[in-house]
Amino acid sequence: MTKIRNLLMALAALTLSAALAQTTVRVQGYGGGDPAIVQRLIDEVIGSDLAKQGITIKYEPIETDYNAVLTNALSAGTAGDVFYIPGETAPGIIATGKVLPLNGLVDTTPFIDSLMSVYTVGGKVYGIPKDFNTLAVFYNKDIFDAAGVAYPTADDDWNSFADKLKKVSQMEPDIHGACLPADFARMGAFAYANGWTPFQADGSANLLDPAFRQAFDFYTGLVRDGVAVQPSDVGAGWPGDCLAHEQAAVAIEGAWILGFLRDNAPNLQYGSTLLPKSPNTGTSGNFIYTVAWGVNADSPVRDAAVKVLQALTSPEAQQFILEQGLAIPSRKSLADNPYFKQDTPEAQGNLTVFDGATHGNVLGFQFGSVGTDYMTPINNALNEVMTGQSDAGAALQQAQQDLESLLQRSQN
Amino acid sequence: MGMRRREFAAAYLFLAPFLVTLGIFFLFATARAVYFSFTNYDLFNAPTWVGLRNYAELFRDDLFLTALRNSLVFAAVVTTVQTFGALVMAAVLNQRIRGLDFFRAAFYMPSITSSVVITLIFLWMYQRRGLFNYLGTQFLAYLPLLGVFLLAVALLQAAQVLYERSRRLPARWGDPALLVVSLLVAAGITWALVFYGVIAPREVRPVDFVWLQTRREVPGAFPGFLRAPVPLLAIMLQNVFTTIPTFMLMFLAALQDVPAAHYEAASLDGATPVQQFFYITIPAVQPVTFLVVTLGLIGTLQMFDQVAIFGNAVPLKSVITLAYFVYNRMFPGAQLPEVGFASAAAMFLAALTLVIVLLQRLFIRSEGRR
Repeated sequence: MTKIRNLLMALAALTLSAALAQTTVRVQGYGGGDPAIVQRLIDEVIGSDLAKQGITIKYEPIETDYNAVLTNALSAGTAGDVFYIPGETAPGIIATGKVLPLNGLVDTTPFIDSLMSVYTVGGKVYGIPKDFNTLAVFYNKDIFDAAGVAYPTADDDWNSFADKLKKVSQMEPDIHGACLPADFARMGAFAYANGWTPFQADGSANLLDPAFRQAFDFYTGLVRDGVAVQPSDVGAGWPGDCLAHEQAAVAIEGAWILGFLRDNAPNLQYGSTLLPKSPNTGTSGNFIYTVAWGVNADSPVRDAAVKVLQALTSPEAQQFILEQGLAIPSRKSLADNPYFKQDTPEAQGNLTVFDGATHGNVLGFQFGSVGTDYMTPINNALNEVMTGQSDAGAALQQAQQDLESLLQRSQN
Repeated sequence: MGMRRREFAAAYLFLAPFLVTLGIFFLFATARAVYFSFTNYDLFNAPTWVGLRNYAELFRDDLFLTALRNSLVFAAVVTTVQTFGALVMAAVLNQRIRGLDFFRAAFYMPSITSSVVITLIFLWMYQRRGLFNYLGTQFLAYLPLLGVFLLAVALLQAAQVLYERSRRLPARWGDPALLVVSLLVAAGITWALVFYGVIAPREVRPVDFVWLQTRREVPGAFPGFLRAPVPLLAIMLQNVFTTIPTFMLMFLAALQDVPAAHYEAASLDGATPVQQFFYITIPAVQPVTFLVVTLGLIGTLQMFDQVAIFGNAVPLKSVITLAYFVYNRMFPGAQLPEVGFASAAAMFLAALTLVIVLLQRLFIRSEGRR
């Protein structure tokens, strides 16, 4: 009894002193699967060190539309002291003027330059990338073995890649070569391989460029020819589902598929490789998806918030994120991490995604001030062509028109 | 005098909680929104007065005009269908039939189910390999059997009625007793024809109707502003499914007050059930019809949630409504919110709703003819 009472009193004293001395820093991020990991990151990796400096972290995940909630909170002065800045909405969030420039407060040199550029506006750095992702080809080894087809490799070009998928899809009617969504966030990588970019030098967009058209035809052609299938047509929510349930031999996704496969298909024998190369340019393309931590310019505990940001992007924190199979760290020095040397499909998958950032034409997943609205007209066109409602010429003509009016409107 | 004043004070005291919330969250918020609609406010920079520019720009914005067209088509179609559907269902459930309580509960289920859940279920049913296309395929495959069956029913019924009449017995074309015989015999004939291989279900290509991922508009022969995009049609179908039961309940309450004597008298005079429905039921529930149409119009003009949940599964242009347009401009891509512009759109929506509800008062009177 006495023991328990002593313990309780000690606890009470601890809480009291903590309450007196501690600065609380509010941290806001995505909901969904993130809170479990970030909470563990705070509790197990960075929490105790910060506690010694008198800083406690209060983590507040946002479950609904992150951009809408953060915008409202920033304008009302209720946003967290430290928060996520997604790459694709960064221009809008930075334009609010509520994000603290970090020049001189945080050393940006250890972080990968292409990631930093996403958060640099007019020479000022507004966010430190916490991690990143790129696309890779994930394939089911058993299906390729059963079909007697060689695995996809980084040397494949679109034609040899399509040949392999075609042979695999001919084996059984219920197993498709690949699972491809009508999504520019996937198809765009092929257009980048052809040297196409979302914006031309004068800020306009050209979907009628032959380089784009050819990638568009290749991607949609796989589905039109019955080699690949859209996830919704086999009752799957996304390509990861198709791969996990052996409905397709290949999915083109990022490192986020690894944790999903570990949970949903623990016995799946899979491999990963870089995206196939364009036969025209001999190089591949890719997106870099990234999210950064930023500091609220109006934060009453700004110094503590900067310390928290540094801890959240520290080598220890990044090592933890990497080993959880969530995303790839944003520090250059982690490139020759021993983790990448492991011979598990998961570690190799992470390595492939890491390599994706430095192979071929790689562009950030960011579309200026229109954000992901940029993709909407293209996704409509992809959908119409993949479902056979329209031919590529007409669909792209319409998409170009819609995109132009979208860009026009955002410039006003 | 003092007594009266105290009574006023008591009344306002009781009203206070309501008046305070109304004042803050409705009057104050509305006044602010009206003000913002004349400025270029973006949440972060001080608003500057721009006069009517936002309103003028609304009508130069293609997306807004599409949203306006969609909202009007949606409101017109859904309000009509749901009002008529609710009235018919209420009339059916007002009968004294076996298992009435079960049917009343079952028919009301869609209204108490979460709209989010229903939308997700409908999203699955609208897939290209979903339930609706499956039923379509089955229907086409069994069309020959169905045709033979219906033809047999018609012929048998006609033969029977003519035979009865030749015996100078009164027989209507839809006589229920004769119809039962016709149905049974026709089913037997169809079964026999299938059994002996005379007819068989057809081999048909699976129906591949794209409900969601399409920009098609129907009916194609109509001018643009009268057409409805197919995905919007899908949302209409689902919306009607969820709102009919609520309005059915209102009609049912009204129908309980209609004296049964009216129906008895009418049937003695030889009125058919259909005539009774049009000449007794509809006039009797006129005040409730007014209420239902008003609520229906307001609800459909403000429709937002189902568009939001359909989200990326459908092209935005095909389903965007005015309410969603306001939200869309409040949180656009990766730029500052267009609060002024969105407020102008919201004010337009409010004015439009008011005008439409006032207009419909001209057509449906709120008091029944007595």
